[in-house]
Amino acid sequence: MTAPPEAVIETRGLSKSFEGFRAVTGVDLSVRRNTIHALIGPNGAGKTTVFNLITGFLAPTSGRILFKGEDITGLPGDAVARRGIVRSFQISAIFPRMTVAENVRIALERPTGLAWRFWRSATALDPLAHRVDELLKAVGLLPERDRLAAGLPYGRKRALEFATTLALDPEVLLLDEPMAGLGHEDVDRIAELIRTVAAGRTILMVEHNLAVVARLAGRITVLARGQVLAEGDYAAISSNPAVVEAYIGGSDDDAAA
Amino acid sequence: MLSLLGISAPLLWGQLLIGLINGLFYAMMSLGVAIIFGLLRIGNFVHGAQYMLGAYGAWTLANLPTLFPGLGLPSLGYWWALVLVPPAVAAVGALTERLFIRRVYDLEHAYGLLLTVGLAMVIEGLFNLRFSAAGQQYGVPAELRGGVDAGFMFIPLYRLWVIAAALAVCVATWYAIERTRLGANLRAATENPDLVRAFGVNVPRMLMLTYAFGVGLAGLTGVMAAPIYQVGPYMGQSIIVTIFAVVVIGGMGSIFGAIAAGVLMGILEGLTKVFWPEASSTVIFVAMALILVFRPRGLFGKDTVSHAGTDLANARAGSILENVRLWLVLLAAGGAVLPFLIYPVFAMKILCFALFACAYNLVFGYGGLLAFGHAAFFGAAAYVTAHAAAVWGLPPELALLAGAAMAAGVGAIFGWLAIRRQGLYFAMITLALAQIVYFYAIQAPWTHGEDGIQSVPRGRLFGLVDLNDNLAMYFFVLAVFLTCFAFLARVVRSPYGQVLKAVRENERRAISLGYPTDRFKLIAFTLSATFAGVAGGLKAIVFQIASLADLHFMTSADALLMTLIGGVGTLLGPVVGAAIVVTMQREFAGFGAWVVVMQGAAFVLCVLFLRKGVVGTLEDWLARREDRRRRGRRE
Repeated sequence: MTAPPEAVIETRGLSKSFEGFRAVTGVDLSVRRNTIHALIGPNGAGKTTVFNLITGFLAPTSGRILFKGEDITGLPGDAVARRGIVRSFQISAIFPRMTVAENVRIALERPTGLAWRFWRSATALDPLAHRVDELLKAVGLLPERDRLAAGLPYGRKRALEFATTLALDPEVLLLDEPMAGLGHEDVDRIAELIRTVAAGRTILMVEHNLAVVARLAGRITVLARGQVLAEGDYAAISSNPAVVEAYIGGSDDDAAA
Repeated sequence: MLSLLGISAPLLWGQLLIGLINGLFYAMMSLGVAIIFGLLRIGNFVHGAQYMLGAYGAWTLANLPTLFPGLGLPSLGYWWALVLVPPAVAAVGALTERLFIRRVYDLEHAYGLLLTVGLAMVIEGLFNLRFSAAGQQYGVPAELRGGVDAGFMFIPLYRLWVIAAALAVCVATWYAIERTRLGANLRAATENPDLVRAFGVNVPRMLMLTYAFGVGLAGLTGVMAAPIYQVGPYMGQSIIVTIFAVVVIGGMGSIFGAIAAGVLMGILEGLTKVFWPEASSTVIFVAMALILVFRPRGLFGKDTVSHAGTDLANARAGSILENVRLWLVLLAAGGAVLPFLIYPVFAMKILCFALFACAYNLVFGYGGLLAFGHAAFFGAAAYVTAHAAAVWGLPPELALLAGAAMAAGVGAIFGWLAIRRQGLYFAMITLALAQIVYFYAIQAPWTHGEDGIQSVPRGRLFGLVDLNDNLAMYFFVLAVFLTCFAFLARVVRSPYGQVLKAVRENERRAISLGYPTDRFKLIAFTLSATFAGVAGGLKAIVFQIASLADLHFMTSADALLMTLIGGVGTLLGPVVGAAIVVTMQREFAGFGAWVVVMQGAAFVLCVLFLRKGVVGTLEDWLARREDRRRRGRRE
């Protein structure tokens, strides 16, 4: 398969096994620029493993990962992030004992190079405050800016995580179940946010909420048992009998989602 | 060939045999430590003392008539000891688990480590009081006297028996854990304790029995070792540090690894005694360092997911207790009057250790890394400063800088090695690395062994101020302390400090934001080592001596204790903790040999009752008061 030129993230024959258990086998994925691409599949299909592989949190057993045609296989997680591929986590990833504003500021601080200045006063970070407020406003968290992040309700924590991710202005966003555990109202709000930020960005998301997938994703890849089962737009996927079989008749309950 | 190297074959075979026996003892001990760590998540530092209990148990049984005259007790020999002592030591272990260990399961590793260090001090101290530090002889059982001539060497029968018995014990334990249903439960509980709990296994009982089993193994090792080594109260103290290194070498979660690494390291140590005797006390620690470089998970360890760092910080943002400027002024003012209230030398001791604890707090409280080898930096700097002042004739300020530079260098290397592992492993690794420095100082000519470097001249500060005047010396120490205190507080509050906090709170997220988190930890570790070095160098100048005590692991334990008693991750905690601990040590000094027992008890009590430390407890109280007031206003 030759990749279309506009592929931003591409995996070729991506495989990962854990002590004999093959979590992901030969996955070829091609995420095109400025699209929202969803990765769906039953529990244990290997979706999060694919995320961990792309973002350098796991090293693949075999296969390659390309970012804009450049091989990034085996780069550590922080280096992948610095190239502009930023991920979120299934369980909301915040810094609990920092304030809401500080959470976002940590992300803004990274490109400034201030992070290494252990001899400077924290006031060096003050110029970032304006941008922090903008980002918090975008997710409706401005009134909470000085609260400890640990004290936020779950849905608001996800919003905070989102704002923190956006603060890096990433070229590619990998969202791992952004809707998990959210109430209706929050789902709508986050879905709207994703659509807004998708302008000029590429998004790859793992999501179980198929209504959200239908609403947002232009292209969908279905994983089952660590392999690509089908790929296409929502209409094609939802009428694919193999996909229906995997979802309904599936006994695919191996761990390691 | 051997004679070409100037080594006689009998020497080689003899050391190999000793190495094999030591290795089997290491294996039996590491097995216990690995099982206890795997299942209970406790770094059982008291394991060495429990081994000593086994040896004393055997000795006591043999000497019943003389120890308890008039009761008509018989003298029970080796075979009785072999049957009676291990279960007795295991029972002591079970009791220890019930009374103490159980209380720290859900807490951070630091508490378990400090608790078991304290228990070891209490047990060993009490035995020292009762039996004195001198070793006791324990005879080889009559049935096993003599030996066989194997042609190439004469092998004492008892040693053959130890090899056979120890191997059997290791294999049996391995079989029980890897091949039986009980073992399967244990291993499952190691990997996922919550799940096993959910299956309805009586986890508390299982934990107690596991602990007792591990301790029983230590007791058995003690009985078997009694006829070979002298039976003394501190026989377990050096072995425990070695055992920690062996567990790191063997690898995470591997029972086989613990056994194999134990035997291998024993033999390696034996061979080193033949070819390079001076290195034999450090070779295991050096091997550990090399394995960390080339195979961080250990020889037989599995790929492990990294654990979260320690987060014990007690500080409350915006609290008056965290106001650096205010406290800098107050400390300066208090420091200025202190030498007129108490003996200046004592005040300087408090300041030196306060700086040491502040430095330690950076890595433990703010970096979330459970370091347990800060004595290496404190002591290395003390030696270099002392040497620079005494031998090179450097003025005190330059000698101090030389010491700090040494600490920074050692810190950067140790940090680079240790950050590959986390949690309790980090503690074990830093401890083992620090032992390399300790043993080096015992043997190197310039450190003068047991004597240390004495009569270090205080000299003239910048060629002007004569530091032999205690008050002048004091104000120099105060100035250095305040400068370092301010700088360390600045580091924590800097843009870098923000990231360090983020790494401590959620390392994976920090990575996903693009931060190379290991490098941030390494900077914190190196800075911490540097300032621990400043403290050590100051101490060497003030007391005019650098000694092995500065490098001893108890100094590392003191840093942890001071930080915990004062309040981890707070601005003032280390200062308060240092004042308390140093004062306590002085008050206890009058009790002679009881000092160790009392200090150990302080460790235990601190873990059980003062977990947040003085400042942390005060913060809680302030927070509650503020809460009440706010609620009062609202009503």
